[in-house]
Amino acid sequence: MGINKMLMRNKRGDKILSIYWFAILVLVAGGIFGMVYVFYGTPYDVREIEARVLMNQIADCISYAGRINTDLISDSQTTQKSGEDFLKDCHLNFKSSEWEDEQYYTEIDFYKLEDMDNAVLSINAGDNKWLSSCGLQEDKEQRNLPQCVRDSFYSLDNADNQYIIKILAVVRKTEKNVKL
Amino acid sequence: MKRGKGNRGQKSTYSSKAVGRLTIFLPKNRKGTILIENVIFIILNLVYLSILVLFLLKQGSGAIVLEQSYAKNIALLIDSSKPVMEMKLNMEDAMKLAEKNGIAKEDIVKINGNIVKVKLSAKGGYEYSFFNKVDVTVYPDVSPDKNYIIKINGYK
Repeated sequence: MGINKMLMRNKRGDKILSIYWFAILVLVAGGIFGMVYVFYGTPYDVREIEARVLMNQIADCISYAGRINTDLISDSQTTQKSGEDFLKDCHLNFKSSEWEDEQYYTEIDFYKLEDMDNAVLSINAGDNKWLSSCGLQEDKEQRNLPQCVRDSFYSLDNADNQYIIKILAVVRKTEKNVKL
Repeated sequence: MKRGKGNRGQKSTYSSKAVGRLTIFLPKNRKGTILIENVIFIILNLVYLSILVLFLLKQGSGAIVLEQSYAKNIALLIDSSKPVMEMKLNMEDAMKLAEKNGIAKEDIVKINGNIVKVKLSAKGGYEYSFFNKVDVTVYPDVSPDKNYIIKINGYK
């Protein structure tokens, strides 16, 4: 009788243990499914790379082999260009049927080495409403806002005058790169 | 006293002789039970783990993930390219998946204006735009047939 009682108690213990085991399996599976869903459900964010590629293309367009494009600065004489003309000359197309608004913005400033406060030539193209997000991201990066990339380089004009060229490239495309 | 698994719910009593026999044969029975239970437990755990691993592998090589990754990859390649460039992109896994889903090799990557579209399943498809104003041709390579060729013909 005593043995049978012990057997019964053990069986009950096994049952309780198996319920807990089953609960643990469900929890682990649920956790993994959740993590996988979040991981693969989040799009790849390529906006920073895209902005860098845009910046490189612009840099190649305005200065080649260390010399500024003579269409922009020649013998210290600058030629102001509209955004559309600049994009056309640099073979860039910011419009797309995929988006209602332009998803890019760029700003190029040419400074003489002697005067770094006043730009001798400024060109901007694209939708300037994305520019405001760059200031907001200075302290903390906000993934939901357009991504901004800034860089500068040194170049010479055809009269060997020295310039610092600062480029800002902004890419929005939030819906395609961030889970909202 | 209740009986074991076989007669659940039915009430019956064991004779003192039977209890004696049970006590005698208990060590043998217990060994047998432990072995079978453990084997089943291990097999079930292995089945559970393999299902989880298969799920993870399938998710990683799914059409949705690959379509997005290749569309963005191709768009960025076109963005950073210059005329007369010819690029070869290894798309072996995408081609295998497309073949499995009944999509022809030629239909995997399409370029419409300045939008790249990658399609690996009948229902799916992912689009991503590029800013470089170039004339692009894309087609699958003949040998080796795992590559896709992206050819930049010139500026538009």
